[in-house]
Amino acid sequence: MTEYLIRRVLQSVLVIFLITLLTFLLIHAAPGGPTKVMLSPGLSPEVLEQQAKNLGLDKPIPVQYVRWIGDLLQGDLGYTFKNHIAVSALIWPRIANTFILMGAAWLVSLVIAIPWGIYNSTKVYGFSDQTASFISYLGFAMPTFWFGILLQQWLSIKLDWFPLSDMHSRGHEGDIGDLFMHLVLPVTVLALGFLASYMKYARSSMLEVLDQDYIRTARAKGVQERKVVFRHALRNALIPIITILGLDLPILVAGAALTENVFNWPGMGRWFVEMASSREYSALMAITIITAVMVVIGNLVADILYAVVDPRVKLGKQGGKAA
Amino acid sequence: MTKKRNWWSILLIVSLIGILFTGCSTNNTANTPNATAESTAPAESAAPEASAPAADAPVDGGTLVLSSFSDIVNINPLLIGDTSSGDIANFVFAQIYDLDRAGNVTAEPWSLAAELPEISADGLTYTVKLKDNIKWSDGQPITADDVVYTVETAKNPETGSPLISQYDKVKTVEKVDDHTVKFTMNQVYAPFLYALCQAIVPAHVLKDVAPKEIQTNPYGTDPAKTVTSGPWKWTAWKQGESHTLDANPDYWGEVKPHISQLVYKIYADQNTEVQAILKGDTDHISAIPVTQVEAAKADGDIAIIQKPGAQYEYLGFNFDANNFKDKYGLFEGQKTRQAIAHALNRQGMVDNILKGVGALMNAPFLPDTWADPGDAAVNYDYNAETAKKLLAEDGWVAGTDGILTKDGHRFSFELQYNAGNSRREQVAAVIQQNLKDVGIEVTPKAIDFASWIDQNVTPGKFQAVLLAWSLNNPDPDAESIFSSKYFPPAGQNAGWYKNEKLDQLWVDGYSTVDQDKRKEIYKEVGKEISTDLPYVFLYQYGQAIGTGPRVHWAEEDAPEPSLGYGQFFHAIKWWVTD
Repeated sequence: MTEYLIRRVLQSVLVIFLITLLTFLLIHAAPGGPTKVMLSPGLSPEVLEQQAKNLGLDKPIPVQYVRWIGDLLQGDLGYTFKNHIAVSALIWPRIANTFILMGAAWLVSLVIAIPWGIYNSTKVYGFSDQTASFISYLGFAMPTFWFGILLQQWLSIKLDWFPLSDMHSRGHEGDIGDLFMHLVLPVTVLALGFLASYMKYARSSMLEVLDQDYIRTARAKGVQERKVVFRHALRNALIPIITILGLDLPILVAGAALTENVFNWPGMGRWFVEMASSREYSALMAITIITAVMVVIGNLVADILYAVVDPRVKLGKQGGKAA
Repeated sequence: MTKKRNWWSILLIVSLIGILFTGCSTNNTANTPNATAESTAPAESAAPEASAPAADAPVDGGTLVLSSFSDIVNINPLLIGDTSSGDIANFVFAQIYDLDRAGNVTAEPWSLAAELPEISADGLTYTVKLKDNIKWSDGQPITADDVVYTVETAKNPETGSPLISQYDKVKTVEKVDDHTVKFTMNQVYAPFLYALCQAIVPAHVLKDVAPKEIQTNPYGTDPAKTVTSGPWKWTAWKQGESHTLDANPDYWGEVKPHISQLVYKIYADQNTEVQAILKGDTDHISAIPVTQVEAAKADGDIAIIQKPGAQYEYLGFNFDANNFKDKYGLFEGQKTRQAIAHALNRQGMVDNILKGVGALMNAPFLPDTWADPGDAAVNYDYNAETAKKLLAEDGWVAGTDGILTKDGHRFSFELQYNAGNSRREQVAAVIQQNLKDVGIEVTPKAIDFASWIDQNVTPGKFQAVLLAWSLNNPDPDAESIFSSKYFPPAGQNAGWYKNEKLDQLWVDGYSTVDQDKRKEIYKEVGKEISTDLPYVFLYQYGQAIGTGPRVHWAEEDAPEPSLGYGQFFHAIKWWVTD
C-alpha cells in the first residue's frame, strides 16, 4: 500500500507538471494579453509595450515558464499583472468561499440522494420513484442560472424570505446565521443539479446489486429484506458511488461560475472566468495547479476507498483500478 | 478616461459603461468595444428627474451603496484605464479643474486650482494657480511639485502611462512657486485645457519609485498606501466584492461631503446589478441594460435618468486593400459608402433596439454641442432605392446569385463586433438585412473582446467593424482617429482612412484657441467627413442611470449623463436618508 501510494504520488507530480506546461503554452497562445485587454484612449502600442515590459511579459515564453515554475517551487503563486496583487492573497479566500457553497450543496444532495435512491431501488416505479425521476429530469434539464433567477424573483424579491445575493449582508461578516440565509437559494439550485445525478447512480447501482445471484441466494434462505438490503447489498452498491464522489471532488474548489454569477457569490468559478477574460496568466496557472491537484487527489481517494469497501481490490504492484 | 469592463477605450475613452467608461484627457475619443453585454439606451434630452423632491435640507451621515460589474485595476491617476478604477478615483482624488454641467472647464470649490488658468496671448503658455490650503490625506500640503511630478512622470515613456498622449504637446512644466505651475506648449493646442481636468499624485510618496516600477508599486492598489486628495478616503478593498470609502475628516474643501460612507459593490454582470437595486441592496446603478429599463421603471421606487451620453456607435470601413480577397478593396468608391449609409435604417435601430433613446449623428461631434455642424453635415435618409442607384453609378451590377459584383468581385464582407454585446449583436443583424436588401452580403462575426482588439482592431486587420467611441472630454478634436498620421499599429485610425483635406482641417481645428474660428473649421470637417464617410455614423446612445429612494440631491447637482463620470456629478453635495 505504501509503495503504491508513493508510486501514485510520483506519477501525479509528473502529470501535474505536464498539465502546467501545456496550460502555460495554451494560455499564452490565446490572443490578447494582460495589457492588451486594457485598451484605452491614448494607450498606444508603445504604452502597451512599455507596460508589458514593466511586467516582465516581454520575455520569451520558455523564460516566463521557467520563472513561473521556479516561483511555484518556492510556494509563490505569483502576482496579477494588472495590479500586482499576490495571487495567493486572492485565491485562498475564493477557494474558501467556493468550498462553503459547494460543500453545503454537495452534503445536502448526498444526504437526500443516496438514501432516496436506495429506497427507490427497492420500490421501482412506485410513487416515490416516479417523483424522484421527475426531480432528476428537472435537475438535468433546468439551466441553473435560470432556476436561480426564478428563485430570486419569487423567494427574495417578491416574498423577501431570503437575501438576493452575496455571501453576507453588509456588516454581518462572520455571522453564521446570516451566512446560512445567504446559502439557502444557491445551495438549492446547486443541490438540485447534484441530486439528479447522485440519485440516479444510487438507484441504478443498488438495482444492479439486488439482481446478483448472492442476493437471490440470501433471499431464498429467508433472510429479512431489510438485512438483505443493508447488510448484503449496500456495501457493494456504494462502490461505484464512492468512485463518482472521488472524481467529483474537484468541484468543491472549482466552483460553479453561472450560479456564482447569479448569486454574486465571490467564489472560484466566477473568478476563473474574470481572470480568463483579462488574461491574468499567473492567476489562471494557480487555478490550474489547484484544480489538477484536486483531480489527482480525488482519483487517489476514489481508488483507496474502492479498496476499502471492496476486499477483492488489492492496491499492489499491479496498481489500483483505473478510476 | 476609462474602459468599461471589458474595455473601453481605445481612443477617446470608452468611458461609460461601463462596461464600459470618463475623465478628462486630451484625446477625445475612445474606442469602446464593450466587452460586456452592455446595452443601453441614450435618451432624448429629458430633464433629469431628481429621485426625490429636494425640498428637505441635506442631512449629513449615512452610507450610499453604489454598484459596478467590474472591479478596479489600479486607482493611481497615472495608470487609470478602466471605468471602475475611474469611479473610485473620482471620489477620492481632487482634480486640478472640473467640468460644469455644460462641459466647460471650471475651478470648483472641490478643484485643486483656485481660478481658471491664465493663457498667454499666443496660446502657448498656461499658468495654473493652486489653492493654498489643499492637502493630501496624510496631512502633507499639495503643491506645484506634485503637479510637475505628475505631468513629468506621465510624459516619461518608461512609466507606461495612458496619460502620455494627453501631455505629448507639453514642452515644459515648471514650478513658479509653491502654488503656481506654468505649462509651455510645443504648439497651440486648444484641447489642452481639458488635459488639466486631471487628478494628480503625491510626489512625496512616489518620487523615489523608478518610473517603470510605478505599475507594480502598491500605490493605487493598497488602500493603506494610497494617499489621496479628495472628499472621501479609500479605506478598504475586498477584491472582487466591494470597496469602502469614508469621508475624509481632514478634507480641505469648503464644501464638505454630506455622505459619510460610500460602499462600491461589485456584481457579476449588469443584470445582477439591476436585481440588487430593485431589492434595495444598492442605491445607485450607472447603467441599466436597455432590456431592463422597463422593469426598473415599473418598480416605482427607482428614479431613472435617461439622456444621451458622450458616445456614438459607427460602422467603420477598412481602406487597406490587403484585408480583402484578391486585394480588391470593396469600400473604395465614395458613392458606394454613401449608398451603404442610405441603405441602413438608422432610425429603425434607434426606435427598436435602443427603444427610442438615441439620436442620429452624421459627423463625429455630439448633437447639441458647440461643434455640432448641424445641417452642414450630410444626412443620409433610409432609402434603399437611392442606395441601389448610387451603387449602380459606382459600377456595381447584380450577379447571378443576386449579390452585386464589380470587376469580377462579389460585394460580400465580414462585419466584426465584440461577442457578448447584445446591442451590437442586434444592430449587426439589422445591417446584414438592410444591406442584403440592396444586394450586399454581410457576414456578422462576434469575437472575444480581448482577441478582437489585439488581433484585428489595433493592427487594422478587418473588413468592417461595428464599434463605438466614447468621448471622454467635450473637445471636438478627433485627429487621432481620423488622421492619416495615426495609422495602425501606432495610432487609432484602424481603418487606414486617408483624406488630406481632413488631415489639415484637424490640425487647423486645434491650432487656435478662438472658439468661433474653431466652430467654422469643425463645420467644414462635418461637411467633408459626412460626404466622404470613413464611417457610417449611426447614433449617439447612452446609459440609463438608476437611483434608489434613499438618495437625494438638489436639481443643480443631479447626475449628468453627457459627461464622463457624470453619473456621479456633484456627488459631494448628495445626501442619503433612511
